[in-house]
Amino acid sequence: MLVRNPYARLLTGVALAAVALSTGCSVTTENSGNEVSVGTGSIKKDAALSGQTIAVGSKDFTENIVLGQLTMVALKAAGATVTDRTNIKGSVNTRQALLSGDLDVYWEYTGTAWITYLKHTDPIADSQQQYAAVVTEDKEKNKVVWAAPASANNTYSIAVREDKAKEWNLKTLSDLAAFTKSNPAQGTFCLESEFLGRNDGWPGLTKAYGMSVPAGSVKSVDTGIVYTETQKGTSCNFGEVFTTDGRISNLKLVTLEDDKKFFPIYNPALTINGATAAKYPSLATLLDPITAKLDDATLRQLNEQVDVKGQPAAQVAADWMKKQGFIA
Amino acid sequence: MRTTASRDAETLAPPSRWRTVLRSHSAMPVVLAVVLLAMYLWVNSLQLDEIERRVLNPDTLLRMLGQHLKLTAVTTVIVVIVAVGAGILLTRPALRWLAPAATGLANIGQATPAIGLLVLLTIWLGIGFTTALIGLVAYALLPVLQNTIVGLNQVDRKLIEAGHGIGMSPLAVLTRVELPLAVPVILAGVRTALVLTVGVATLATFINAGGLGGLIVTGIKLQRTPVLVTGAVLTAALALLLDWLGGVITELFRPRGLD
Repeated sequence: MLVRNPYARLLTGVALAAVALSTGCSVTTENSGNEVSVGTGSIKKDAALSGQTIAVGSKDFTENIVLGQLTMVALKAAGATVTDRTNIKGSVNTRQALLSGDLDVYWEYTGTAWITYLKHTDPIADSQQQYAAVVTEDKEKNKVVWAAPASANNTYSIAVREDKAKEWNLKTLSDLAAFTKSNPAQGTFCLESEFLGRNDGWPGLTKAYGMSVPAGSVKSVDTGIVYTETQKGTSCNFGEVFTTDGRISNLKLVTLEDDKKFFPIYNPALTINGATAAKYPSLATLLDPITAKLDDATLRQLNEQVDVKGQPAAQVAADWMKKQGFIA
Repeated sequence: MRTTASRDAETLAPPSRWRTVLRSHSAMPVVLAVVLLAMYLWVNSLQLDEIERRVLNPDTLLRMLGQHLKLTAVTTVIVVIVAVGAGILLTRPALRWLAPAATGLANIGQATPAIGLLVLLTIWLGIGFTTALIGLVAYALLPVLQNTIVGLNQVDRKLIEAGHGIGMSPLAVLTRVELPLAVPVILAGVRTALVLTVGVATLATFINAGGLGGLIVTGIKLQRTPVLVTGAVLTAALALLLDWLGGVITELFRPRGLD
């Protein structure tokens, strides 16, 4: 007789939900660990790192995986052996792995550390000040060492289809605020539940720009769906996106300028486990020449090569490093 | 002093089911009440920051719980109507050959990862309640359909033939012999579907259909453990409560002859 145990089913359901939560929310990349040969370019062999094994991690979305791959290429060029632990599900798990020593290094964003890990509710508007505050507090509380930040800022933005932006003459978020007032029927938004919950997300944004959007016009959906629904433009005309995402230009979306500088700054920087940093002090500066080149346009272009053109992240990273002369 | 006659009447009268059922099923509500109270006291003892307060307030929690219940209830009603109806049809002699194909189809609905199904459906149907409902129904159909078919097939053939023999119409045999005897098995399938639906409905938040999944996702993404725990405990408590309710109903609906 086929009477199944409901508790076993509940467990299955919860497990499925957990798997879906951890895998369903972002672009993941297969073959991210393709072997690439690394010759000597402007990154020289480092005596302290030579022959040592460094575990490099990353979160589970394209940009972070690409940054992890760039790091691995640089470490190999410096003579180290790397363990590829990129593509860990979720920020929190990745961070835990760094704190526990399972990872030696991975790229983190200043805004994420400030709000999510160090649990401040309000961001610091100035990029330098926020970085400095994070560096001090993270060292003090968690012994984590931060290398220099990149100028790229992978923050939130509101995107809309190119043709609609033109039709409605929208360039900035202030334009959007005025538009939602005069055209409430068209002021529909697709947002992630995370964005809806954060102070530096929807609650703060509407306050800063004086927008009042009725709850019925705000749809809470998953990241991937934000892009496709905004592109379709039926359920929502506006979507919350990340500024360095390769899909923005590919789906013919434009982002509206944050003219009141409301959104926090998310500069990526290499974070290093405290014990590792003490053992290999040169790790903190090894990537500086690479970090200096990472601006919004560069990251968006690297992301697009993976997300849109489908190239393996390892290949994209190695090609770019060669082009820049870091390796040969 | 009671007479022999009245004592006989007492034993012959069916014993009150309510009392026995409630006595044998009293543990679960007590356990759930204790767990929920413990969670409430724990969350209450914490210093919640602004982000946590934004979701952990009675208004938001009741709204999410309401959405979750609505998704579960509507899904269950649709699943019971569709799957029990289909199960009855598929056990009639004329359509019996279709049963493997139909359960195969229901199997596909359950085997497909729910999150994938939901996201695929949004491409076609857009986001919202209806899309979530279709995904959930596809997911929960199998246990009820399967148990209806099994429940009806396990009814003793002799009883069915006896029904025909005393001149009952096929419909009367179905409603007065087959279905009453299949009810415990069918209801076991419904309970499974209920519990399953409560769990999978946490994914509805990904397509703007609300529910307690919103708490779980926010808790994970923003690393706010009280929010995550509240979402998970409420979901589990709801599943266990509905399963308990299903257990009580099963007992009450069980044919008296099986007591």
